[in-house]
Amino acid sequence: MVFLGLGGFFIVNSAARPAAGKEIPLVDVKFLDRTASRRTYADLVKANEDLSDYDCYGCHEKGKPPPIRYDANQKIIVPKEHSDVVMGHGSHDRNNLCYNCHNEQNLLTLQVRDGREVGFDNIPQLCGSCHGPNLRDWEAGAHGRTSGYWDRSLGTADRLSCANCHNPHAPRIPTRESAPAPHSLHGPAGTSSPHETTH
Amino acid sequence: MTPTLPPPDDKTSDTSMSRRNFLRGAAAFGGLTALAASLAPLRQLEDFSSSEQFLQKYYKELTPDDMTKVIGRIEREVQKEYGIRPHVRDLKPMDGVEFVYCLNLTRCIGCRKCVHACVNENNQSRNPEIQYIRVLKMPHGSMDVEKGDHTYEAKSVPEKGFFYMPVQCQQCQNPPCVKVCPVNATWQEKDGITVIDYDWCIGCRYCEAACPYWARRFNFTKPEIPKERLNPNMAYLGNRPRKQGVMEKCHFCIQRTRAGKYPACLEVCPVGARKFGNILDPESEVSYIMREKRVFIQLKEEMGTSPRFFYYFDK
Repeated sequence: MVFLGLGGFFIVNSAARPAAGKEIPLVDVKFLDRTASRRTYADLVKANEDLSDYDCYGCHEKGKPPPIRYDANQKIIVPKEHSDVVMGHGSHDRNNLCYNCHNEQNLLTLQVRDGREVGFDNIPQLCGSCHGPNLRDWEAGAHGRTSGYWDRSLGTADRLSCANCHNPHAPRIPTRESAPAPHSLHGPAGTSSPHETTH
Repeated sequence: MTPTLPPPDDKTSDTSMSRRNFLRGAAAFGGLTALAASLAPLRQLEDFSSSEQFLQKYYKELTPDDMTKVIGRIEREVQKEYGIRPHVRDLKPMDGVEFVYCLNLTRCIGCRKCVHACVNENNQSRNPEIQYIRVLKMPHGSMDVEKGDHTYEAKSVPEKGFFYMPVQCQQCQNPPCVKVCPVNATWQEKDGITVIDYDWCIGCRYCEAACPYWARRFNFTKPEIPKERLNPNMAYLGNRPRKQGVMEKCHFCIQRTRAGKYPACLEVCPVGARKFGNILDPESEVSYIMREKRVFIQLKEEMGTSPRFFYYFDK
């Protein structure tokens, strides 16, 4: 009887599949996205898209620099036409004068403080006029995002520009949601409840 | 004197013999079923263990003709399993190339996008989850990995008071995992990548125990990869689907990097914290970083493993 019982047990047991474990949802594809978080003027030109945001003289008058208004705390009042602009450049937002970067003589260009005009499609030169070490690192490939080929003899590398990651008006990289933590074999991450959802 | 007595148990012999026979039969039946049951796991082997694979030679002994056949077999197996015809290549190390990875700890925000880009690129199992990269959340002011937490869940990263340190295979110049492998299924190639031949690995997990970085992963079950997320661009020593019972780990995206491309974790990094390149080229990004940046030499350098993975700071 013992042998019969054992035999039966082995047969039943061998038919049993290993425990399938718990369901793990596939990671959201937004975490796999490798496109730039922002699009620059140069991107819009390249993609042949709507540039009306850069048509300054559609509203402003040529040869008449728009005045800058301040509130009682000496903070710039952002006009409602530019309500998408968040002022937050520099520690304590000290780089808060529009014409530090925009060219009041020609709103279609930007300017370095020494008077050099810089086009909207060549912003690293403008940013680098204050952030020299970052420009140096960026030019060497050590700052900023890159994709494509590390071996330049086989293909090109796609280097992103300053404004592809940084909002020029508030350059600090915003915080973001983190992708899910690893699911342990024995239950939800960070808990000590093995086999909670298995079987 | 002739024996006149009949065998003493002549009358009862029927029942006695049948009892013995019954016990014999039961024992034999029990024994046979136990044997069958003990061999039952072999039934699960029938799928992947074609005789071709079983008889396959060691990777380094394969002639180009052999390799063409092996790649053909792998492509057939993947197509049968996933319904997708993959493009499998056996990419060799490039001359004059030694790969180095640099990771900027000042920039990393701990978003874990690299973890999932890696899983997606390298066809890791989604259930149970196998991930090559662990992102350690570390309190400011310490480089003690014992204080790291890789299970953090955060609505918004980076969190105040912490920095993040992703850890993956460090591609050591002196790899302890290679030394302990009893069958030479893992070795270091001349471009610095330590690779695994999944067809040669016996799954003893010695390498997992030897690695001081917890970089190696074991396939406890058959990997589960959804068809729609299978990456068909594969390499023999890289991201071709693994089977149950073999080790795997980060191989610097061999299917990409030996074709001249950047690894997947680098391209997805939203803050550009990851840098990769050829350290033998003085013009490369990594050479620049090693010259100009504050490089925190190597993780657990006291182990003498001499990683090719460097952490550095901006300021």
